[in-house]
Amino acid sequence: MTPLQILDAAINGTPAPRIPIFCNLLDQGARELGIASKEYFNNGTKVAEAQLRMLNRYGHDNVWSLHYVGKEAELLGCQSVLFADDGPPNVADFVIKTWDDIAKFEIPADITQHPAWETVADCLTLLRREVGNTHPICAYVTASTTLPAILMGMDKWMELLLMGPADLRDALLRKCNQFVKQNITALSAAGANVLIYSSPFGSTYFVNKKILQSLIMPWMQQDLQPGGVHDVVYYCGMAPFNDVIDDVFEQLQIKCHYISPLADLAVAKRIIHRRGLTCGVIDDIKMINWSADETRAEVKRIIDIGKTEGHFLFGTGVMPMAIPETNIKAMLDAAFEYGALA
Amino acid sequence: MNLTKYIESYNEAVFETDKPAALAVVNQALHDGYSPEEIVFKLVIPAVESMMERIEKDPDSNLAQHFMTAQIAADVTEKMLEKFSTPPQIIGKVVIGAAAGDLHSLGKRIVIGCLKSLMVDVVDLGINVSAERFVDAAVANNAQVIAVSAMMVHTATGEHGSLEIRALLKQRGLEDKIKIAVGGAPYRFDPKLYQKVGADAWAADGVTAAKVIVQLINEVKA
Repeated sequence: MTPLQILDAAINGTPAPRIPIFCNLLDQGARELGIASKEYFNNGTKVAEAQLRMLNRYGHDNVWSLHYVGKEAELLGCQSVLFADDGPPNVADFVIKTWDDIAKFEIPADITQHPAWETVADCLTLLRREVGNTHPICAYVTASTTLPAILMGMDKWMELLLMGPADLRDALLRKCNQFVKQNITALSAAGANVLIYSSPFGSTYFVNKKILQSLIMPWMQQDLQPGGVHDVVYYCGMAPFNDVIDDVFEQLQIKCHYISPLADLAVAKRIIHRRGLTCGVIDDIKMINWSADETRAEVKRIIDIGKTEGHFLFGTGVMPMAIPETNIKAMLDAAFEYGALA
Repeated sequence: MNLTKYIESYNEAVFETDKPAALAVVNQALHDGYSPEEIVFKLVIPAVESMMERIEKDPDSNLAQHFMTAQIAADVTEKMLEKFSTPPQIIGKVVIGAAAGDLHSLGKRIVIGCLKSLMVDVVDLGINVSAERFVDAAVANNAQVIAVSAMMVHTATGEHGSLEIRALLKQRGLEDKIKIAVGGAPYRFDPKLYQKVGADAWAADGVTAAKVIVQLINEVKA
C-alpha cells in the first residue's frame, strides 16, 4: 500500500500493514542541502528537493508544502521576516501596527498572483509531480481567529479580542476569513492533500469555552465551509484540546485530531474512538536531550496507547533543528517497528 | 462588603475575562470608602496572589485569563498609584525581554503586568534582546533578576540566549547578585530545560512567573 492508502485506511479503520507515520522535517531541509535558512526558504524547489531526499532516507509517510510562521503574513503584506540558521523564520514586521491599520488592511484579490506565493507553488509543483499520487502532502493553514496574531502580534490581538471594540475585531476577522478561504482553495488546487488547520484559539488552553463557542467556533465554521473538511486535520498549535474534541466533531465535522503531547493521549483516543483519526504526537522538544533509547521508549508508549483498535497515526510536533539525527532515526525506526499491524 | 468578598468578586470577573466587571468591583470598593493604598495592597495584590495559586493548581486555566489577570491588575494599580499619598515601597527590580532572535511579546507583557501590581520595578528591554544588553541593563539598574522570555526552541536553547547571559554573569562575578528566570512555550514541553540553559528558575505561565521572580528577588536580597 502507498502511504496515502495507509493514511486512508487509518482514517476509515480498514486493514493496513502499519499505522501512518508523519514527520515534519521542513526546517531540517536547509541543513540537508548545506545552505542558509534564508536561501532555502526563498526557493520552493529546494524545500521540495530537501524533503524528498529525507523522505528517501527515512521512509516516513508525508512531505510538507513550503511554510513558516510569517509566510501567510507575507501574502498579506509583511515586508520583513527574520531568518535564523538554528530555527524557523519569524515575523519581524507587523502588517497591522495600530487599530487604525485594520481599516486599511486589504486581502489580495488572488493570493496566487502575489510574489510570495511563487515559492509555495514551486514547492508543491515538484512534490505533486514526484509523490503526489502516493504520499500525503501537508499544508499549514492558520485559522482566521489566529491569523491576527501574526499580523499584529499576539499581545495586541489578545487585547483586541478580549477588550477591544467588537465591530473592529469582527472587521479584522472577516478579512482574515476571506484570506483563509482563499488559502485553502489555493493550497488544495496546487496539490496539498492534507490541510493542517492550525487554530490555537480553538483550544481552551487559549480561551474559555464560552468564548470558544460564541466567537471562535463560528469563524472556524466559516473558514472550513467552502471546501469541506475531508482533508482537514484539527491542530491547536501544540496546545491541548481534549475537551473540545466532541465539539469539533459535531460543529466542524473534522475527523482527524492532532493531539498535543501535553494532553492525555489515552483520553483523546477514548473520546475519538472509531469516529475518526487520533494522531499521537511525540514531545519532540525533549528529543533534543533524550538518548536514542529514551526516544524509542516514548515512541513505544505513544503507539501502545493509540494502536489498539486502529484509527491511529504517529506524528511529530515542531521538530526543532537541535534534535540529533540519531534521535530522528531512532524515532522513525521505532515507529515502523511498533506501528506494524498484524 | 468586606475585602474578602471584593477579592472573590474581582477574581471571578478576571477568571471570566470580564474587565468591566473587575473594574466595577474596584470602583465599588473605592465608593465604599477604601483608600487607593487599601485597594492595591488589600485587594489587588491579594487577588493576584490568589489568582497565582488558582492558576498553579488549575492546569486548565487559559491564556486569556493570564492575560486579563495581568492587564487588569496593572491598569488598576497604575490608576491607584497616582492617588497614593506617599510613593509605595518597591520590593525589587527586574529587567525583562524576549531572547535574542525572539520577537514574541505576549508572555513578557503578562509577567510585567503582574510584577507591577506586586510592586516590582520592571525595566522592559523589548524583543530580540542580546545577552550583553540584558546583563548591562541589569547592572545599570541594580536589578536582582533578569527575566528572559523565549517562545521558540532555538531562542530558548541557542547560544545567544540564557546560556550566554549565564556565561556573562559568571565572567563578571555577578551570579550571586543577579538571578536568571526563563519562561515560554519550550519550557512547558520540557520542564528540565531551564537547567540546561543555565537559568535559576522557570515558570509555566506568565502569572506564576511573577511569583517565581519575586522569590528570586527575595533570595538575592536575603
